[in-house]
Amino acid sequence: MRRIICLAFGVFLTVCESSLFSFLPIELAKPDIGVSFIIYGVFFLTPLDGLIAAVLFGFTQEVLSNGPPGAMLFTNVGLLLSCLFVKSRLYIESRYTFSLVCAASVLFESLLFLALSLLSKGETRDIFNVLLYAVPDAIVTAFVALFMFSFLERFRARYWSRA
Amino acid sequence: MKGTLVIITAILILAFSFLLFTDITVVQRGYTKTKFYLTDGIGPALKVMSTPVRFVDELLDNYINLIDVKKRNGELKKRLETMELENQKITELEKENERLKGLLGMVEQRPDEMIAARVTGEDVMNWFKCIIIDKGKSAGVKEKMPVVTPAGVVGQAVEVSRWHTKVMIINDTNSEVDVYTTGKHTRGIVEGTGQTILKMKYVLKNDDIEVGDRLITSGKDSIYPEGLALGIVININKTRPGLFSDIDVMPFNNFKKLDEVLVVKKG
Repeated sequence: MRRIICLAFGVFLTVCESSLFSFLPIELAKPDIGVSFIIYGVFFLTPLDGLIAAVLFGFTQEVLSNGPPGAMLFTNVGLLLSCLFVKSRLYIESRYTFSLVCAASVLFESLLFLALSLLSKGETRDIFNVLLYAVPDAIVTAFVALFMFSFLERFRARYWSRA
Repeated sequence: MKGTLVIITAILILAFSFLLFTDITVVQRGYTKTKFYLTDGIGPALKVMSTPVRFVDELLDNYINLIDVKKRNGELKKRLETMELENQKITELEKENERLKGLLGMVEQRPDEMIAARVTGEDVMNWFKCIIIDKGKSAGVKEKMPVVTPAGVVGQAVEVSRWHTKVMIINDTNSEVDVYTTGKHTRGIVEGTGQTILKMKYVLKNDDIEVGDRLITSGKDSIYPEGLALGIVININKTRPGLFSDIDVMPFNNFKKLDEVLVVKKG
């Protein structure tokens, strides 16, 4: 139940983002809310939580995006796998490290998407576009991740037993 | 053990999403169905969410407009000579009003050919450009139907669920529109760049085209009907090596300021 509430809140934020950004004249940077949940799930909860978050946010982003089918799911699950492999080598001790890891994850996701496009379809159309937005997206995501970390920590301290 | 199971599941999902991405029909069919049901769930949530957002947006707009009006009043008092300019603005507004009335009349006269819709959301990733509108299959929207505003072309419906539709905007990198210049009939393809400025391609260097030329749809791409306004040529570069000119196009629509759109039903 706690998992569902937490993830539902994340999906709610993503839907809010989609709705809000259609009214705001901001085009350069959009935060990736799902990244915070995936990173938090892998590093602070269990790998299963991370997997559930990756699949759920992958699906949600696909529904709310014009991307090719499977692209968002691939980048989110790819990120999850990478996090699982570096989990024992990377230590997140504060919200600032968490935000840095989230920013790096957004950059990694962009590169993963480009690699997927190039390898599977040989397409180069999106390269400039994806690279242009990668850094601003990473910065905004890092900023949002600071708040997300505080929220998730409080939520866990109050309702969740430590994994 | 549990961790290994998660990794194996993740790898399987990764392989599945890769197959999806490579357009394998069998895999895509089941996925599209799942996505359709998920969209049905998220769609109404988007509509509900957009209501308070729209309210705040209108409130802010009105407030900003009020500040603008106050400033303008002060300026008008100080400079009476700008009245002429203001009058010109009013004339332009009247013309616009007439045009809008005409469009409204068009919709009222032929309600079976147009579906009015509100914009409820936007693409969550800025790699792609799409908007989500609050009309779907239940209102008669189908894939590949053109979406327009009084200013010009917006894009085409790409994914239609029961109550909502995803519209690919013409500045998406996957968008292409067959156009020609008004009066000169110089044809070309307008491609999205992911940015505000679009690119007009396949126009020969000796073709008759100038900065300021207005572009309208040619109807030859079998998606957009002929004669819809699209944009204006703002830059032409003929010094680039090759057969074709490098042409920048500014769309008539501001895609960040879309509130209502019209979906054009096709015969």
